[in-house]
Amino acid sequence: MSDSVVLVKNREVVIPGQPLARGRFKLGRDVYRDESGIIRAKKLGLADIKDDTISVVPLSGVYIPREGDIVIGIVSRISGSTIMVDIRSPYQGVIPIPRGRATERVDMRKYNLKMGDVILAKVKAFDGSSSLLLTIDMEGLGKLEGGYLLEVEPAKVPRVIGKRQSMLTILKEKTHSDIIVGNNGRIWVRSPSLKELLALEKALKKIETESHVSGLSDRVSSLLSEELSR
Amino acid sequence: MPLYVEKKPEVLITEEGVRTDGRKPYEMRPVRMTVGILDKADGSAFVEWGGNKILAAVFGPREVHPKHLTLPDRALVRARYNMAPFSTPERKRPGPDRRSVELSKVIREALKPAIFVENYPGSVIDVFIEVLRSDAGTRVAGVNAASLALANAGIAMRGLVAACAVGRVGDFVICDPNHDEDMWGDADMPMAMLMESEKITLLQTDGPMTEDQFREALKLGRNAIRFLYEMQKEALKRPYQVIERSVRGAV
Repeated sequence: MSDSVVLVKNREVVIPGQPLARGRFKLGRDVYRDESGIIRAKKLGLADIKDDTISVVPLSGVYIPREGDIVIGIVSRISGSTIMVDIRSPYQGVIPIPRGRATERVDMRKYNLKMGDVILAKVKAFDGSSSLLLTIDMEGLGKLEGGYLLEVEPAKVPRVIGKRQSMLTILKEKTHSDIIVGNNGRIWVRSPSLKELLALEKALKKIETESHVSGLSDRVSSLLSEELSR
Repeated sequence: MPLYVEKKPEVLITEEGVRTDGRKPYEMRPVRMTVGILDKADGSAFVEWGGNKILAAVFGPREVHPKHLTLPDRALVRARYNMAPFSTPERKRPGPDRRSVELSKVIREALKPAIFVENYPGSVIDVFIEVLRSDAGTRVAGVNAASLALANAGIAMRGLVAACAVGRVGDFVICDPNHDEDMWGDADMPMAMLMESEKITLLQTDGPMTEDQFREALKLGRNAIRFLYEMQKEALKRPYQVIERSVRGAV
């Protein structure tokens, strides 16, 4: 048996269990090595071969939090010392309300939240199963006001942002809007008028459905130009 | 007095091996698989197989309710097989019964080895299988649909699970028994296979078979399942190919 063979094309749609490569490769995300040493896909996605690393870029799936992620959450419950936050994930976010001496160094006005408030938060700590600690105790984090909340599939967030924020820059500049993209697939938009908002919504839909076909930036760009010139 | 009286056909299979619906012993009924047809589910699939129409929906990984069922180190997998009241010739009383509880269990156990449950600790993956029209072999059609729905939901899996039933009528080992063969045939053996390793995750047998017949049935089942697996692959990739073609066509 030869030692290193790649069995798929780069950016090909692969299904769970599909053999991707055999031999000396590094395992990227969403792949695994079976008993016979073949590298296989874990999820439905696009094969991604970079140098000697094999990964799969998933096309769907729920949001699994990672430390340091920025997420947009909705306050779901407030009980005494904690604020529970829904972040569209199997795990509920928890923000402890500072008490005692801690209240001196934080801006306590930020914690004046009620149910249904939309907040921008950062994942402070996540143990992988039950405890998901969020924080709003940082510049720029906290309650979001005066805008609209849109959603895309969490798996498509990297495409909404693009390489070196290229896609996000297109979206922002074309629609003259403030856009905040949470890693959990929620997107906060403040646009000059309804027209830009609707155009943006269409653009996001396009990114979601056509993310696996190359040349996406150009298509989104022309869609926005067309929508806004009407 | 029942409104609908089932009639046993005089011959289930002729000496030349022609079955009641005209198939040869090794032939399968026509199958069609579609993926991602439910908007509100995380993953879904629709399988039409002979007269069967089966819908599968997957929700999750999501928060576990009730909370005490949570497993700290892996995901909980729940499956529910349910037959619609209008899925049978005579109205079926809605709700779980002895049979559907058993099928829920065997389907869950057929799918579970394929899922990387350790990747989603403390969450639950819910699989719902709704039989809209039944025509023998609903459990294996349900496994096929559920496996597609799981992949469609973007859940980490070792591979797909495909399933098919085989059986025996007289001296013939047959593939994919139809309604008549299911009712009056001599043996029925549903089986499911985890396609990445070809390990069997579901094998039930109802009716006697000799050792040789069993071996033949197993081999026939494996081949049928490999064929269904090809259909599953195609079904999963199709929506993406359709979009790619329409985009490329428009440019």
